[in-house]
Amino acid sequence: MQIRVKCECGESSCREWAIVELQGVVEAQPAFQDQIQNLEIGVLCRASSQEKYTFTVGYHELSGSKVAMKKPLLVLKKKKLLDSEDVPGSSSNSSKIELEVIGIIRHRILFKTRPRALISRNCTLAGQISPLDVDATQS
Amino acid sequence: MGRGDGGDEMWRGGAEAVLNLQPSASISIAYDAVFDAHSDLLLLELDDKLLPQIMQNRVTIRGEPDEEAVLCTPSATYALKYVGTSNSAFLIPPSSGPSSDVSDSGPVKVASAIKLAPGVMELVEVAPRLHKLKELLAENPYRPEEDSMEELEENDGLRRLRWEDLVERVQASDEELKGALKDISAVEINGYWRIVDEKYMDMVLNMILHNLVLNEWSLDGFEEDQVLGIMGSDGFPLKIVLHCLEIYGRRVNLTDDELSGGRCLWRLDEKQVCVHFARVILRGGKMKMERFMDEWMDKIPAGMSADFEMLEGQVLVENIGMETWIWAFSVSSLPSTPAERFAALFQERQKWEWKDLQPYIRDLRVPGLSSESLLLKYTRRTQPTMDAEPVFSTR
Repeated sequence: MQIRVKCECGESSCREWAIVELQGVVEAQPAFQDQIQNLEIGVLCRASSQEKYTFTVGYHELSGSKVAMKKPLLVLKKKKLLDSEDVPGSSSNSSKIELEVIGIIRHRILFKTRPRALISRNCTLAGQISPLDVDATQS
Repeated sequence: MGRGDGGDEMWRGGAEAVLNLQPSASISIAYDAVFDAHSDLLLLELDDKLLPQIMQNRVTIRGEPDEEAVLCTPSATYALKYVGTSNSAFLIPPSSGPSSDVSDSGPVKVASAIKLAPGVMELVEVAPRLHKLKELLAENPYRPEEDSMEELEENDGLRRLRWEDLVERVQASDEELKGALKDISAVEINGYWRIVDEKYMDMVLNMILHNLVLNEWSLDGFEEDQVLGIMGSDGFPLKIVLHCLEIYGRRVNLTDDELSGGRCLWRLDEKQVCVHFARVILRGGKMKMERFMDEWMDKIPAGMSADFEMLEGQVLVENIGMETWIWAFSVSSLPSTPAERFAALFQERQKWEWKDLQPYIRDLRVPGLSSESLLLKYTRRTQPTMDAEPVFSTR
């Protein structure tokens, strides 16, 4: 079978997506785990004119920076085409799949450091970070 | 909250607001209202040089459900490798409004992440996977019986493949596939790609040679129209005759004046014709060298001369006692992937000298691997003395 990779936007107008990346996982407080929709993950802040950022998740603060991807990432969306669209030469009766380019990622804001605890601040509802290499230490 | 949470929009988004965050500003990153519902999204990492190919819709992904998928540009093939991550990469789409100039409605306060990126598909250039092509076409070679039955072909239950069917089944770019069809001497007949039965090709070639002699036409320059005319009246389909000329002959370059007269001249390719007759003789199996040479010279058309060098990559020779034996071992009959090629070679012979081995591996192409590294990977090289020829055996 053959899956076409389709792009309707063209290189210059392909819309850019962003990635905010951190190590480990963000866990919502147990009370919110089933309803994270619209919940705040954290606050991204750019302190100065440099490309340095902080990301505050609950009472944890991460420091990171905006980095250009070595190679761009395309965001592809799977689309099912019905066979009634009459694909010439098609020998199967199943519906065809197409991948559509819906965006491109050229930068990500990357937080490589371990979180720093912000003791003085109140805990927000959003959650906490549990880095993979460290046991969750918060109670 | 910022703009965009009107409810009926798909994503509130805000990639622009994140990427263009001004100094001393901050933005809240939130789970989208439909966070994690987008299992239909994939991330594909690719070189900047491949971007134009994608943007111009010239890329497809090929492979059957049980095969590892490959991505094909018009001229190259790439394996798709999934690379997972243990990081959390929040994917933030652009805001869904038509124009997304950050400054037009004040600073955006919230950007929505629609999912965690699961991992990335990476591309690794690979050799086209062509082994299936020959098998597919060999299932149903074109035979003389078909000359007269152009119309009822669809009903005989045999598989015939159009170009569109081949690209559905073979994991290669269009350019690589076209090259491979040429390499195996396939021809498009009535819209289907076929290889012609070897014995039938032999008959057509002999008939052409016979007619050239009969009419005293030169092997080095005969008129296409005349040959097609005489072969056509003998009942051979012109498509097959032309295919035979393509394989065993070359068009003669004509001056512009001659071309404008509508003339088309062919000459027979000495090497192709001689190799063909050697293969025909060796079809029966191993034979003694003297007898082979006698029969071969006998078959070569007058005006051509055969040279044993022509059979490089076509035959193997072995001395057994006082006698020399020869048998057919054609590079075109061997697998096209390196691991399988070397396995087949070492099954035929345990030890290979370089001059014998080289014709059987020089067509192997693996992106990123030189022929030296191929040898290192698949063979063991021994050299009994400093000035002796190196010998290659299996690892």
